[in-house]
Amino acid sequence: MSFHTSVTFAVAKKNRVPLAEIDVRGAAVTKKLSRVLPSVSDRTERVPTFNSAL
Amino acid sequence: MTGPLVPFREIVLKVHSRCDLACDHCYIYEHADQSWRTRPKAISDQAISRTALRLAEHAKKHALPSVTVILHGGEPLLAGPARLRRVCEELTAALAPVTALDLRIHTNGLQLSPRYLDLFDEYGVRVGISLDGDKAANDRHRRFADGRSSHPLVLKAVDLLHQERYRHLDLGLLCTIDVANDPVAVYDALLELAPPRIDFLLPHATWEEPPPRPDGSPTAYAAWILAAFDRWNDRGRPVPVRLFESVLSTLNGGPSLTESLGLAPTDLVVVETDGTLEQVDSLKSAYQGAAATGFDVYRHSFDDVAAHPGVRVRQLGLAGVADTCRRCPVVRSCGGGLYTHRYRAGHGFDNPSVYCADLEALVRGVEDRTAAATAAPAVTDPAVLVAEQHELTRVLLAELHSELDGRGGERWAEVWELAGAVEGRSDGLDEVLAHPYARTWLLDCLDALREGRPGAAAPARMLARYVAAAAVRGRVDVPVRVPHRGGALHLPTLGTLTLDASGTAEVRATGDGFLVRAAGGAELRVRRLREEAAGWRPVRRGAHGTALDDLDPGRDRFGVPVTGRLTPGEAGEWSGRLDGAWALLRDAAPELAGEAAASLSTLTPLTGTEPAVGRHGYGALGLPLAGDARALARALVRGFRRAKLRALLDVTDLYALDGAWTHPAPWRENPVPVSALLAEAYERAGIAVYEEGRADHVEKALDLLDNAAELTVSGKLLVAGVRKELCRSRDRSVLLSRG
Repeated sequence: MSFHTSVTFAVAKKNRVPLAEIDVRGAAVTKKLSRVLPSVSDRTERVPTFNSAL
Repeated sequence: MTGPLVPFREIVLKVHSRCDLACDHCYIYEHADQSWRTRPKAISDQAISRTALRLAEHAKKHALPSVTVILHGGEPLLAGPARLRRVCEELTAALAPVTALDLRIHTNGLQLSPRYLDLFDEYGVRVGISLDGDKAANDRHRRFADGRSSHPLVLKAVDLLHQERYRHLDLGLLCTIDVANDPVAVYDALLELAPPRIDFLLPHATWEEPPPRPDGSPTAYAAWILAAFDRWNDRGRPVPVRLFESVLSTLNGGPSLTESLGLAPTDLVVVETDGTLEQVDSLKSAYQGAAATGFDVYRHSFDDVAAHPGVRVRQLGLAGVADTCRRCPVVRSCGGGLYTHRYRAGHGFDNPSVYCADLEALVRGVEDRTAAATAAPAVTDPAVLVAEQHELTRVLLAELHSELDGRGGERWAEVWELAGAVEGRSDGLDEVLAHPYARTWLLDCLDALREGRPGAAAPARMLARYVAAAAVRGRVDVPVRVPHRGGALHLPTLGTLTLDASGTAEVRATGDGFLVRAAGGAELRVRRLREEAAGWRPVRRGAHGTALDDLDPGRDRFGVPVTGRLTPGEAGEWSGRLDGAWALLRDAAPELAGEAAASLSTLTPLTGTEPAVGRHGYGALGLPLAGDARALARALVRGFRRAKLRALLDVTDLYALDGAWTHPAPWRENPVPVSALLAEAYERAGIAVYEEGRADHVEKALDLLDNAAELTVSGKLLVAGVRKELCRSRDRSVLLSRG
């Protein structure tokens, strides 16, 4: 039996965002996309790294 | 040092050079550099204006999406509200047309009042406060010149900042470590103040002025930090702690979050109260003038500073650390530590950190404590890998919709809406998006859009085919209009229709099949999806329901030519040999066979004799049409291992800084980057499991991988998994040979 079964999809669908509502600008999605679309990594906000301030 | 300039994204603006405290661990006043004595107390009007101008010029030239300006000192609040207002006004006016301005201030908090906070609220200046823990801890160093405690005033400042009207301005608390303080008490005291963020700093030290080690332990600071880490980790990580998050990020292949760790290039410059431009001011702990550049905002641009050798050397990543550090397995997380901590007279900064032993112990300590929980589940759970790959395809489709941004016109909008409807009413859309060649089409579309190719929005109309196929699979009775050219219309995962004319056909699910109304009005009814009929060539299925896909137009990305449509005879014969191959695999390597059977949804016949993977989602494999069951079994093993590793790389970070080092692969003449060593070891381990032999060279490769600095916690988990596979295979052979 393949992992590509309706059982898998039914379970996954309960906990996920519908296709039309996926936020492609969100951090988690940006991270996923950046692994296969190199240009997407440019979107991530640059966080200051100065040691003596937050 | 060659290469393009790294523009500055972070500007530390010293608005006042004096301080109302006399902290005895301060790097500005108590360490080697004493240049503060020569600086004007407050930043001048001209320095403010020139800085704003230079920064705007820099941001515009480099098209920076944002810059951060941190108001600092000394104690920046001593500049007074009027001067600080001027700073905010001028920076905002100069930068707003050019870039997003992120304004921050770091203060001891003593002067903080509603007057300042109202100003900061007006300009969006966020506030960080220094505090070394509870009163006892804070009083160890952070006192007034007359010895009075500053603690009560700092608490008052924190309280004020936490009022409802100012809370959004709070950046958190910065704590300098003293190993004489109890780490848990310090952490608890900071946490009790409910900051949005905390960071812990190692006290500035160099090889000339090493940090205090009351018990002589070379890892006293690591022990302190790990004690605080355990408190934080065991209680569900209630507040972000920058130091901990940075180590966790780099262990998982991500960026470091602080200049005190990691290999990220520095992109920070300091503007002094007189407009002098300096390198990061922690360098003042090394020697007099260590931070100087000779430049100022009146006569020079920020680019002039960016080209300064002292700045460039801190942008070299791995090339900028000492030899010892370059060979160290934790260097991606440690990065050689804060630059100034490496200083040794006569040797400059080309040394490990004076905190080297602590940093190594810290990184390894965090890794030991968290690897099991942090490593990606997809590495060890095949079903999770399949699910995450499927989710990736959905996200790519959402990204395509976002990138099109209306350019797909009404046609796209109509089909996008239908996609949502089919998704809501059945699993059909999931089934077609799980098809590996769906990924191929999506990546092609996104590439075309990014490259701005003319007609880039056109391939997006393929979505209609996917939605039509989804509706049929899910038995959702909605008509889907599908544009097509020429005689063939392929419904992904189902088969290919032969239609007479180009145009738009309407596909509608009916019972077990579907009805097509072609552009010219002719109708074709397909009652049984799996059976060949006039005008209909189905995708055939083999063992385990795997598609033997010799039809999908997106199947040609293996780098090896695919065959054309197989005749029924050829297909039956290939399927028979494949059944033989699966049987051999099940017999010799049942676990591997089980996982491959469950994960591979689509086999495509290729010319030649080699298996191949290509630009598609997980689950596809190109297998040679030629070859007996034995050859096909071996091809299945090799191909599946390649496909699985690629799939893991799509959804997890197994390594970082690939190519920064090379490794001697046992089976190659020349050393290779870690990506090649891992891929080849992974494939060869699969063969060793199937053929029950020739594993010692693989074990050598695994030993090399264990010590590779590039591997993340997920990468190490994968390597550990391969060792277990080889072990189980050896045990199985022994059992079988005993009969």
